[in-house]
Amino acid sequence: MRLEKCWFCSSTVYPGHGIQFVRNDAKIFHFCRSKCHKNFKMKRNPRKVKWTKAYSRLHGKDMTQDSTFEFERKRNRPERYDRNLAENTLKAIKKIDKIRSDRASDHIKNKSFSRLKTGKVQRQKEARKQLELGIHLVKAPLALAQDSSLCLPKIKVNVSQAQTEENQPMEE
Amino acid sequence: MRTVLKVVDNSGAKKVMCIQALKGKKGARLGDTIIASVKEAMPNGKVKKGKVVYGVVVRAAMQRGRCDGSEVRFDDNAVVLVDKQGQPIGTRVFGPVPHELRQKKHVKILTLAEHIA
Repeated sequence: MRLEKCWFCSSTVYPGHGIQFVRNDAKIFHFCRSKCHKNFKMKRNPRKVKWTKAYSRLHGKDMTQDSTFEFERKRNRPERYDRNLAENTLKAIKKIDKIRSDRASDHIKNKSFSRLKTGKVQRQKEARKQLELGIHLVKAPLALAQDSSLCLPKIKVNVSQAQTEENQPMEE
Repeated sequence: MRTVLKVVDNSGAKKVMCIQALKGKKGARLGDTIIASVKEAMPNGKVKKGKVVYGVVVRAAMQRGRCDGSEVRFDDNAVVLVDKQGQPIGTRVFGPVPHELRQKKHVKILTLAEHIA
């Protein structure tokens, strides 16, 4: 018994589900359900179909590089049954799975271009910090020093009698 | 009946037409034996056009269920010509073959195959 990955959507195919298609060049395609099978017959490229894992990995919406992926690889050598090994493997699978899904959800939350609500606060904080550090790219430092109204409100300016007259409207 | 199948061994025939499925009322499936008539043959081969031969279906576009619950289907309908005892007439088999043949005791075809699906 082997859990395969659907060729189209990359979900796991459990025993009793799906269809295996063998092409004449002996390449085998596994499909989890007829939706994927029909899309394949229509010659659709999974990398262009939005709901597949292939699309989301290609467009950076999902985590692609992580050390946890090294554990799950196709091995064709049958292992001699060892009870301890089997027990440890099962425990490890659980742990690795949890770590991987935590990292994947972190990746989704903190994406800089994410339209998700979560992570918005963090992204705004990052944007504000970047603006502070990089304000010299927007406006020359000399001009900033002369015209205090161009600075961010966070930077405190000593309001004295002489300086209030200098508060001119922003040059643009 | 009347299904034209591709011949994937080097027995000389190219296309055969099924005239009888040996087992099953509804027709032959993957791994079954059929009686076929040679419709198209290579000019100098062991079998000639018009000959009635036996064949084993090695690839079928109709899916066949396996004992683990999955289903397999191939790209085309293909047959390997055998004699009455079940031994293949040709000496080579092209393309993938299913391992359902092992249960049907067509071991010789499996050994000649280049890929077992």
